[in-house]
Amino acid sequence: MIAVTPADAGYPPRLRDLAHPPDPLWIEGDETALRARSVAIVGTRRMTGYGERVAREIASSCAAADVVVISGFAQGIDSAAHRGALDGGGRTVAVLGEGIALFLRSVRGRRRPLVPRVRASGALVSEYAPAFCAQPWAFAKRNTTIAALAEAVVVIEAGERSGALITAGEARRLGRPLFAVPGPLGSAASVGTNALLAAGEARALVSAAALLEVIGLQGIHAATSPTDPILEALAGGDLDADAMRRRVRVTEAELAERLMRLTLAGRVTQTPDGRYRSRS
Amino acid sequence: MPIAVAPRQTARSVARVAACALWGLESAMVTVEADVANGLPSFTVVGMPDAAVSEARERVRAAIRNSGFEFPLRRVVVNLAPAERRKEGTGFDLAIALGVLRATGQVTHDADALCLAELALDGTLRPVRGVMARVRRAVLAGVSAAFVAPENAAEAAALGADAFGFASLRDVVEHVEGRVRQAPSPTPLPAERRDHPVDLRDIAGHETPKRALEVAAAGGHSLLFVGPPGTGKTLLARAIASLLPAFDPDEAIVASAVHSVAGLIDPERPLLGARPFRAPHHTASHLALVGGGSPPRPGEVSLAHGGALFLDELAEFSPSVLDTLREPLEEGAVTISRAGTTATYPARFTLVAAMNPCPCGHAGDPAEQCTCLPDAVDRYHARLSGPLLDRIDLRVHVPRIAYEELREDGREPSRTVRERVIAAHERMSARLVGTGRSCNAELSVAEVRRHCHLAQEAETLAAEAMRGRRLSARGFHRVLRVARTIADLAASDEIRTADLALALLLRAQA
Repeated sequence: MIAVTPADAGYPPRLRDLAHPPDPLWIEGDETALRARSVAIVGTRRMTGYGERVAREIASSCAAADVVVISGFAQGIDSAAHRGALDGGGRTVAVLGEGIALFLRSVRGRRRPLVPRVRASGALVSEYAPAFCAQPWAFAKRNTTIAALAEAVVVIEAGERSGALITAGEARRLGRPLFAVPGPLGSAASVGTNALLAAGEARALVSAAALLEVIGLQGIHAATSPTDPILEALAGGDLDADAMRRRVRVTEAELAERLMRLTLAGRVTQTPDGRYRSRS
Repeated sequence: MPIAVAPRQTARSVARVAACALWGLESAMVTVEADVANGLPSFTVVGMPDAAVSEARERVRAAIRNSGFEFPLRRVVVNLAPAERRKEGTGFDLAIALGVLRATGQVTHDADALCLAELALDGTLRPVRGVMARVRRAVLAGVSAAFVAPENAAEAAALGADAFGFASLRDVVEHVEGRVRQAPSPTPLPAERRDHPVDLRDIAGHETPKRALEVAAAGGHSLLFVGPPGTGKTLLARAIASLLPAFDPDEAIVASAVHSVAGLIDPERPLLGARPFRAPHHTASHLALVGGGSPPRPGEVSLAHGGALFLDELAEFSPSVLDTLREPLEEGAVTISRAGTTATYPARFTLVAAMNPCPCGHAGDPAEQCTCLPDAVDRYHARLSGPLLDRIDLRVHVPRIAYEELREDGREPSRTVRERVIAAHERMSARLVGTGRSCNAELSVAEVRRHCHLAQEAETLAAEAMRGRRLSARGFHRVLRVARTIADLAASDEIRTADLALALLLRAQA
């Protein structure tokens, strides 16, 4: 683990845009990832299946264009973004709201297996001392660091008072391009993002290519256009078998066979409660 | 074990009376031998009696005196043969009393019947548990008559024995001596066919959950419903009672015998008419669920033998309690070991369980937003251990349904579905004839190989599934058993691709 100060040459240049840049910044992993082309992808911890899919898709497209995905390593959208980048073969940087050593010791659940992958391909960074214990205000401060570190910010899903909106506000202050993903009306996880769009504070994100163009890159591949009616039905969110049959209108046997083939091809997975989810 | 019947004589020193001991559902004939000899007055029971049997001495002494007979002021020894296993319960009272009366010459004829009742101090006969299993053993051993309390008479008569229900010890003696002959109890009424409280027709929508229910009912596969609260998981689960195939007489006897041991028999209609449906609450202890205590009593899994066991709010059950389900799910029986005794109860049941998708219950619920963090949802599902989930063949999401659907009737009434279930059940039991098992869930690995023929295309899909989903060998066999049932429901000898695909999908492994 190393610590860099704004006076050091190796200090991430974009962070100097902040009124109070982190001093020092603790880095565990590859510090060159902090100077590479990058996009921040943030959002709520209480994501929906739709948000998870979009986060992974966008992150994976960024990875394909060799753009580093920056996020906060929280549960939900943040983790989905890190995972999408790693699965797409790219690099990712996790900006923590607590000390790195403390985080490494205490992280549990779905994020734990992700830690070594993030360390190996990118970096874990924190503006707090390694043993610093998590505090609510520390996460708010961390959110502004994420906005500064990236060239553009994408909010996938955010509730009414989500911390991701702090990142969005800071992105606007710093003049970073800000995108929000339009969500279904009535979905609590999209109230914040839809409000950003309604107020004209963020651009609507309709494809990864548009995002990459804004930071001056060509999108490697256009947004996936599902041709399979099952994948099309799943694009709006997770579905149970009955709902799927109402949409796709095939016999039970045919649906079973096609779903099975999509599952085996890795395009569809099942949630623990027995519904189907599209996987990009 | 044949009972030695001594030639009749007026008085002799050693008397023999037939009784029966019970450990779980396992039973053995016991000969109660009574000897009255000169010596200091005493009354001893030997032959591994437990506390309840030893206490019989006091009840027998009082009952004999209060029935107008004389208790000998001599040395009385009663032996329960064979003496090597511990005898439990109060069912030996009548046999001991008759033995003493016969040995002292106050009764001059042998009883030639299984004697199975507890005695009250005034000589009244009281009912005991587990009459059915013991009378069945006696009939097999060639003792065709049974002397029991009036409350137990129907139970004994249901198994074809000449059952005599006597009110008191006095009545028994009058009958044995031939002074007042009593007629055997009539064969009890056949079990009533109940109307099932829930019919599939009453449940709107939910075609896939209903399909899973049909597959579970036909093949005995275990089923888990996952869905938000109020979507009808419990109603669906209860509907399985209306789909289960008819009870075959032998199965009904075993299931009734378990209920008889637990003391849950209707004295009027002792034979169970429909397959049992048991729904223990999620606060149940492992004793209540798999049985136990001293003497060991059957638990809910055994009371559900031959029928269905419904565990609502599966994730709310204590994890250690759920873990005890593994043995019955795998073995189809529960063995309870206690110091000195071991009891085995059958426990072949169709497991139907229901749970919420997450702690708040609203994951995937269009009506309400889920407020759970992803890790909390994971922890919630982790409450169910891997080995238990591995033994659940069908996992189906029960969604909240739209109002328009709610107004419609279900497409098929239970009667129609049950006809398919029965036809499929017949196909599978024909394959398993002579094995004592009757449904696809119980196929052994060798039988899976023999009976689960995959069509050519299905074979390719199976190979892909094995590779792609990293199915364990056990998991794969479970999928094949379910696919076999789906094919049986379609009356197909071969498992077609669609059957296998549906089986794989209904297994729903995240």
